[in-house]
Formats: sequence, C-alpha cells, structure tokens
Amino acid sequence: MNRKLNNIFKYLLVSSAVLFLVAVWIIPARAAVDGVMTSNLRYTLTAKPGYISVPDGNSIYMWGYAVGNGNMQYPGPTLIVNQFDTITITLNNELTVPVSIVFPGQTSAVALSGSPGLLTKEALPGGFAQYRFTASQPGTYIYYSGTMPELQTEMGLVGTIIVRPNSNPLTRAYSSASSSFDREYLYLLTEMDPAVHDLVNKGKMDQVDTTTYHPVYWFVNGRSLPDTLLPPLYPTLPNQPYSASPQIRVGDRVLIRMVGAGRDLHPLHLHGNHHQLIARDGRLLSTTGTTADLAEMLFSTSVAPGQTFDSIFTWTGENLGWDLYGHALTDPLVSGFGAGDEVFVQTTLNGGITGGATQLQINTPAAGSWPATAAFRAIIWSGGGFPGSAREVVRLKRTSPGSSTFNILSRGREDTSASAWLDGDSIVYTDHGGPMPVLLPDQQFLTNGMFWSGSPFLGSTAPLPPGEGGFNPYNGFFFMWHSHSEKELTSNNIFPGGMATMAVVEHPDPAIAPFSDIPHITIVAP
Amino acid sequence: MNTIQNNMKKNMKDNRGTIRKERLRGLVLWGGVIMAVWMLMVSASDVLADGGVNFQCPATITDTTLGRTDDPYIACKHLTGGDGYVRMADQPPPPDGNAAATYIFGFCDATAIPVENVMDDCLLGAQFAAPTLQINEGDEFYLTLTNVGMNVRPDLFDPHTVHFHGFPNAAAVFDGEPMSSISINMGASLTYYYNIVEPGTYLYHCHVEATEHMQMGMLGNLYVHPAQDGTPLGTCAQGNPCTKFAYNDGDGLTGYDVEFPIQISAFDPLFHLADETVQPLPFADMLDVYPMINGRGYPDTVNAGVLTPPAENGNKNSQSVSSLISATVGQKILVRLSSVATIDFFTVQILGIPMRVVGRDARLLRGPTGQDLSYAANSVTLGGGETADVILDTTGLTAGTYFLYTANLNHLSNFTEDFGGMMTEIILNN
Ligand SMILES: [Cu+2]
Ligand SMILES: [Cu+2]
Repeated sequence: MNRKLNNIFKYLLVSSAVLFLVAVWIIPARAAVDGVMTSNLRYTLTAKPGYISVPDGNSIYMWGYAVGNGNMQYPGPTLIVNQFDTITITLNNELTVPVSIVFPGQTSAVALSGSPGLLTKEALPGGFAQYRFTASQPGTYIYYSGTMPELQTEMGLVGTIIVRPNSNPLTRAYSSASSSFDREYLYLLTEMDPAVHDLVNKGKMDQVDTTTYHPVYWFVNGRSLPDTLLPPLYPTLPNQPYSASPQIRVGDRVLIRMVGAGRDLHPLHLHGNHHQLIARDGRLLSTTGTTADLAEMLFSTSVAPGQTFDSIFTWTGENLGWDLYGHALTDPLVSGFGAGDEVFVQTTLNGGITGGATQLQINTPAAGSWPATAAFRAIIWSGGGFPGSAREVVRLKRTSPGSSTFNILSRGREDTSASAWLDGDSIVYTDHGGPMPVLLPDQQFLTNGMFWSGSPFLGSTAPLPPGEGGFNPYNGFFFMWHSHSEKELTSNNIFPGGMATMAVVEHPDPAIAPFSDIPHITIVAP
Repeated sequence: MNTIQNNMKKNMKDNRGTIRKERLRGLVLWGGVIMAVWMLMVSASDVLADGGVNFQCPATITDTTLGRTDDPYIACKHLTGGDGYVRMADQPPPPDGNAAATYIFGFCDATAIPVENVMDDCLLGAQFAAPTLQINEGDEFYLTLTNVGMNVRPDLFDPHTVHFHGFPNAAAVFDGEPMSSISINMGASLTYYYNIVEPGTYLYHCHVEATEHMQMGMLGNLYVHPAQDGTPLGTCAQGNPCTKFAYNDGDGLTGYDVEFPIQISAFDPLFHLADETVQPLPFADMLDVYPMINGRGYPDTVNAGVLTPPAENGNKNSQSVSSLISATVGQKILVRLSSVATIDFFTVQILGIPMRVVGRDARLLRGPTGQDLSYAANSVTLGGGETADVILDTTGLTAGTYFLYTANLNHLSNFTEDFGGMMTEIILNN
C-alpha cells in the first residue's frame, strides 16, 4: 500500500502528460467532472467485455459501455449534456447477450429501434438499439442496462448523465444560485461480488445466483482506494478512466454528485466539514423552485441504489480557535480571497470599556456576520493599521442571538493584557495570530500519516522523519471521504481499500499553493 | 438462529481453551517486550517534556465525569486507548453462565486517574460504549488520548486516535484520520483541541485501521449542549417553558426535560475472537450478530447500573452506559440517536410514543431560509456515522413500559439467542 501510494504521488507530478495519450479532442476542464460531451447531440456507445484492476492485484471480468469504439470502461461514460438538448444514443452490442439502456428520471426517453425487451428495446448480440430523450431538467441522473439489470449493472453496465442547466451551465448544477459551484466531483458508488464475474467469464451464466450476493469489493467511480487517488486516464487503469480525488481551495463551493449505482446503501461520510444536500434525483430540494430552502446540512449522506444526490461542500477553517496558517499577530494577513480570508469581520467598539469590563458593544453592520451563538476569538486595538502594537486578545460570545452586546468570556489572552479601550477603537473577529493551544508530542511518539504535511498549519512545512508523510501538495489538509460502513473500506479482505478517497484542501493564496489541479478530462465525442 | 451460527458458537467455545493457553504463553513472551518499551518511554519522558503520559489541561478540573474545570468555558477529558473485555447479553457472569467474555479494543476514562497510575489502571480497561463525552457550545475542549497498549495483543504496536465525527471545519491535525494526520504511539499522549461552535449529537471513534478498531469497539457518544440552554422557550413538563434544548432553535421546538444518548452498534464475535487469538481478520466475511445499544444487548440495556465486570480484564467496569430511559408522563424526552454500526443500516422504532425528528447529523432540521424540516415519524433509519435528534412528547400517554427497538427484527437477538439485541425500555412514571 505504501509503495503504491508513493508511486501515485510521484505520478501526480507528471500526470498532465496523460492528456496526450488519447486520440480524441480533450478539453482539460478545471471545474468539471470527467466525462463525455457531444458536438452533434449524438452518442455512440458500445457494450463490450473487458477487465478492470483491483488493488489486491486481481483482474475482474466486466461488461461495460465504451465511447464509440473505445475501451470498455467502468463505470460507463459520464454523459454531459445541456438542458433542452434532444440526445440520440446508439448502442452497439459486442457482447453475447442482449443489452439495453434505461434512463431513470428522463421522462421523455424512448427506444427508437432495437429488439423488444421487458423494460426497453434491446440491442441483440452483434446488433444495435437506439434511444432518444430530451434533457428537460438539469441535474444528476443514472443510466444502466434495462436487460437483466440485476446481473448487467453488477457486470458494469451503469453510468451517470449530467444535465447542465440552461443558465450558468458551468457554474451551477441547477438554475438556482444556491447550486453554484467552483468545482465539481462525481461519487458513483458500487460494490462487487467477483464470484458472479468469474461465472460469467467462464460462460456459466446459468449458475449465477444474484440472491446469494456477497460483495467484497467497493468502488468510487469504478476504482478502490488507493486507485481512487490516481489521475483520470491513468495508463495502468485503461478501463477505469475516472478519478475520485477532490482538490479544494479554502472557501471553494464544491459540488459533489453522488450516485447510488449498485445494490446496497452506503453512508458516504465526508471528513472536514458538513455538506449541504441541495438536490435529490435531479431535483432541487426546494418549495419555491428558485432557492434550495429544503436543503439539509449533513456529515453523512445515505446513498441508496438508484438515487442521486447533489451536495455542496465548503471548508474555511473558520473559528478553529487558533491560527490555521500558523501566523504571529504581526505577520501579514491571508486576505483578498473571499471565503479563504482569515475570516476577518472588522468593526469598532460602540462605547469604551474599562480594564475590568465583562461585556462590550460593537457597531453594526459587521455585528451581523459574527457568530450568532458560538464563542470566538477577537482582537481589540486602537488607531489605524491592524493589529496595532497595543492590543488585547479576548474571547467573546453574544448575550443573545442578534444582539450586538457580547459577553467577554476571557480577557488578556495570549500574553496581552486587559486594558481600557475607547469608543471607536477597532475590533476584529479572527483567529489570526492565535497560537497552537496544545503542545504536540515529539515525533518519536507519533505515527505520521502519508498525507500528513508534518505541520498543523495550512501551507506550512515542518521536518518529518525520513520516509514518512510528505505526499501533501502544497501542504494542504487531506480529508478522507468514505463509506462509513467500515467493512467497505476493504478490498477482497484487505484493509485499507474499498470505497474511500482523499480530498485535499489547499491554501487560498496561489503564491503558496499554485493549485495545479489533477486534470479533469472532458472528451467531446466526434 | 440457524445451524451455521450454532456451529460457529460451538466451534468458538471449543477453540477457546486452546487459544487461551496459547495466549498465556504469548503473554509471558511479550510481557517482557512491552515492559521494556514502557520503560524506554518513561525514561525518555525525563528528557522530552512532551513524551510519556501527559494530560494537558489549562485549568483545574472540578468534575472528572463531565470534564468541567474552574474555568466555565474550558472542558478537559483524558481517555486512553487500549484493549479489554465486555460481556455480551448471552455471556452472563457466573454462576448463571460461563465466564467467557468478548475481547474488545476501546477507550478508558482516565480523567480522574493520577497520570502516574494511568498506564496501570487503564491497562485492559477498555470500555464499551466508550466514555460519553458531553460538552457545551462555547467550550474550549482539551481531549487527551493516551495509548496504554494492547495487553492481550502485545504484538500489535497499534497507535490510536480520536475522530470527533462531524466536527465542523476540522483541521487535519485534530481529525484523527490517520492517513492525513498523526496518531499516538504506545506509552504516550496526544491532546486534541476543539473550539466548540456547533451544538448537536455527534459521535467519536478511533480511526486507526478503521474497520478493525471500530468493529472491535472504539466507539462512543459525544454531544454538545447549545448556548440557548437556560433560556426559557417553548413548552415542557407541567406547561413550563423548556430550559434545555438540542439546538439553538429560537422557538423551543427542540426543548426537552430529560435527554438520553442511544448509540447503536453491532459486533461480529468471530472477528473479535480472531483478533484475540492472533488469527487473520475476516474482513470480507464480517457478519454482525450482536446488535447493541450503548454496548449492550437487551436485556442488559435496561440494567440501570454498571454490568458485572468480566474476570478477563481483572474485574474492571467496562460496560457503564445504561440505555434505560425513564421519565414522568408529560415530560419531553430528547433521544440522541447515533449509529456506529460497521456493516448494516438500522431502523429504530418506538412503540406507542410519537417521535419528532428535530435534528440530523448535529444540525437543527431547518433550511437555509428558516424552513422547518423537522418531521413526525414512527421510525428513524441510520447508517454508520449518522445521527438524529428525536423528541418524544409524553403528554397524555399512559404510565408504563414502552419499547425502543430496531425494526430490523432479525437483530432482536444476542447471537444465537433469539431474544434481545437492539432493544431498550422507556419507563414512564406518573
Ligand atoms: Cu472517517
Ligand atoms: Cu484505535
């Protein structure tokens, strides 16, 4: 595992070279998920057999949808279309059994040609079928084979359709501003019982019993940890083109499109912060249609089979109680990056306070954007530039939500002293200059994770023991995003593995973290 | 229960004697090693002020259970990570049953223990459920984790962590996920710091070798009382306003008279036996057959006290969290539901008492524009790592015994015993 990850991160340094390995027109898209667009409202997909790699070294026999005559892939190509487009899909069949595609959530989907089947028309072996739908509503949708779906989705015939909204297609998931995003990532969740695949590969399909299903592999976008961390189109994973390694800048709104593409439920837990669930099954969670007023804040989303969810994740490091960047009070501020600032909301004292005062008042309007109920650290000083040589660090809490009167929970913190301040003196809500509140043990008492930068501070380095850690681009914070059914963090009886990925949050200043994304690849099908 | 499980159980018992002898031999061998490592740590701590057992708390502790200090806004707790034993509900103490207990990894509450005694007192002192952590919004929470080592598995030099599951805007250093962070080695302490800004029902667990350490029991309740506590709002018992709340709701919707943490989980005894006896761990075949609430199966869940400790851990109390819910008719009960099950989803029901789900994943169920998302229900379904806050309004109910249990009825069992499992009682008095 360690050596493999080591190789992965060596590879990350040269990953952009992969871009040139595919003979189709590729747009490196900074904010987009990996997928396939169409220039003429048509897609040609081919159902064909192939193998995927799993981290324990096995190869698994699969059936998958390929783009045109390309590689069979798992999961199927992510079809990225625009709202109101009428899309025609031709499905060629190179398998020895009939296959098809159904489009849950596309109310206008019709099968134009093919052999009659139970759920839809099918492409016979060597033949083809054709489907058409109008993408009337934006959102995240699933598609899969409607022919023996209990076997064929397990075999890999499943994928995602993303419908971009008519307005702001590259920055919103829906027309609503509450779905705006800076980056987007796909989390298509599946599990697998290799015994089924063995039987199919040996031509013993009649012996497959999907009711005795016993999954031992779990996937995000068709890969298991640590392969989820590799870039898209990685050469040793020719049939698993999609990555699952979010890169996030402090303050970004990150859209996560979750797709339940297997047969089990998975509680997808995102470390780092809550995520806001804004849509389910391609519909904004809204009573008004204009804003996601029914959105929920969650730390885990139960992704059920056939369901899709859209969530927004943001990480700011607000109110940690210590300086995220490891600054001293006199250091320059991290500012000018919006939500990536050191969360400064500056205002002035409304009335002076004595050295013994236990409450203070501040002037609105800044008061409104300070924490409603939580306690927080603030700095008071007099005169111009921040943070004046005479200053006092305090910890404050509103007397009641909405009030601009604050209880001073503690005064003269961090080697400053409680003193008298005048009406109009400056005060700011910030962790800037807040020291690390605890002493970390010496290295010899610690085990360092391979994604640990060696420092508690974002964008900082510290010496690490030889051979440990250090796979940490620009010393970002890594967070594991994974199934919280912990059994699913394994691959064929080996821990760690399975349905897990690592997201990294990076420093907002491009001078510190140039933010060269793991490239995301949009192929435009000819 | 089916014959496969009966055979499993029989084999386990057969294996046990042999395994124990093997283990004893191992202990003699490894005892020396573990002692040597500790002595190294102790001697090193003379040189390095930050090594050895080190409980960092900037205030003086006044209540070791709640971790309160003489500073009203600072809370401090000291946990240790290690191993130990618990009794499943079908493993009663002698003379009624055999003495066999279930091997676990877990946390031990060392807050009240002088630091020089922590390594000894918490050795084999793992508790399941882990010690409950309850703190207040506005607290600065200092949580020290000391790794006392695995007495039964001295071959495992596993580090441990605390993952404060759901902590908002977490920093990697205090997240406890070992790949992206630091973990504490045997014989030393790491202090986590949390500025507590969001009230609600969370949970905590060790994240090292997550599938193993969590299946083995490093799981506990963790919740945060809101700043609104103490403000009279809404209606509670006898028509009085509530003064305790699940969240800062502004209207008393989440107000309650009494609160109970209900954490659901489940064990696979074969996995525990494999860990106890240094066998390959059956990850792929992991099968949970001991469904529990707060570390016990029914009827142990309704034992209001501490369960009789197992002999295997030197008679240390290891199952201290009762799940017996008791209230007076007319009171509002807050059930802080969480799941730390490592395999299955569970649905929890309460027979005869209406539920209102007011919180989910440590947030008030209220939309970004103030839309009320709370809902009346008769069931709550949780996957591992999910929590819900449920208010039970007992106004107008008849006094008596009510049941909270899983609607996954096959989990109303304690392994081969077709009775018990994930169930507890709610006693309503007049
Ligand atoms: Cu986790
Ligand atoms: Cu652990």
